[in-house]
Amino acid sequence: MKSSPIGGDEHPRPLIREVVVINKQGIHARPAALFVKTATKFRADIGIEKEGEVVNGKSIIGLLMLAAGEGTKLTLTAQGQDAEKALAELSKLFEDKFSED
Amino acid sequence: MEPKPTTLKAITAEEFYTAHGRQLGLKLEAGQAGLNRKIHEATINRPGLALAGFFRYFAWARVQVLGNAEKTYLKSLSSPERRGRIRDFFQRRVPCVVFSRNIQPTREFLEEADAYRVPVFRSPLVTGRLINSATLMLDLDFAPKMTEHGTMVDILGIGVLIKGESGVGKSECALALLERGYSLVSDDVTRMYVLDGRELMASSPEETRYLMEVRGLGLIDVGRVFGVGAIRTEKRVDLVVTLRDAGKMEDVERVGMEQEFQEILGIAVPHVQIPVSPGRDLARLVEVAALDQKLKTMGHNTAKEFNDRLIARMRNEARG
Repeated sequence: MKSSPIGGDEHPRPLIREVVVINKQGIHARPAALFVKTATKFRADIGIEKEGEVVNGKSIIGLLMLAAGEGTKLTLTAQGQDAEKALAELSKLFEDKFSED
Repeated sequence: MEPKPTTLKAITAEEFYTAHGRQLGLKLEAGQAGLNRKIHEATINRPGLALAGFFRYFAWARVQVLGNAEKTYLKSLSSPERRGRIRDFFQRRVPCVVFSRNIQPTREFLEEADAYRVPVFRSPLVTGRLINSATLMLDLDFAPKMTEHGTMVDILGIGVLIKGESGVGKSECALALLERGYSLVSDDVTRMYVLDGRELMASSPEETRYLMEVRGLGLIDVGRVFGVGAIRTEKRVDLVVTLRDAGKMEDVERVGMEQEFQEILGIAVPHVQIPVSPGRDLARLVEVAALDQKLKTMGHNTAKEFNDRLIARMRNEARG
């Protein structure tokens, strides 16, 4: 069996974490930029899913397209060596309301 | 070394005469010995009230412009009274006097000017025009000035000052913009000054005007290589673009919601930073930055408008 071309052999399966948007204005430009800025620090591939639609977590346009307002449930995925650390930092952004409100 | 702004505190009557004499059609009639007198304020004064004897609020430090009104008033005075007023006037250390409309000053006036060593000029311009032109010229003389390390281009009417460390590719970027049909104001060394207290203007030092230094090619005469359409003497600065090594940039703007400004000579100019890395078409990026700036000055902020729409949509969905 071939290993997946992304992420290497060590973490062949993506890590998954559920988050909820709790800041009032939702994932608008500023939170999206903050998310992408954080995500690009990591080598892992990051994905965000909303109701079955998955976008690249390092793409601002992708994130904005999700239009994830307050109360939206999202699934974060990360695949790669630093996936765990990436998910920890990224989900903390949601908990901290992206330093808004 | 950081460039320092300079502002003139005063210019001499001689400097005024040398710099603007031709344009204002000035002829020196008397008081040559006083050409070293100093003009302290960047505007002119019509000394009507002073000649009528009211000196309490006399703006003596300015260029004094006399027109038909002053001439006629002086003529109406008795001879001793007139001479007394003219002396009172010259005693106030006025820097120089300009008669408009080619009015020939009386012999008495010229004698006193020589005696008090105050230069007296004559100009063919009508009073209003003389005042406007002289004020504009003085305003420029007194405007804060400085030299910036940067390349200035005009992109469809948007003046863009391209800054960045030596070797980052400012000139190459400008060259590519010239090839796209835009024009160059100055390369590498740009003179800046403030017009009218609110507009930041850029021009090139006369010595290197329209010359460009491109690594590997040497000096290029832009006017000859690209034609006169590719050059202009001065342009208002609407945008500052800083080219920065992508590896040295920590915070790269991704949305462009917040307008950054850079202050030059006290004027806040919109500022964007563009990370430079191999394969990026810098000229195209600067071009788009200029066009986006144009949109903003027309009242359209793409990022902000989009974001407002997005927030409204998310709010509606949360309610529904």
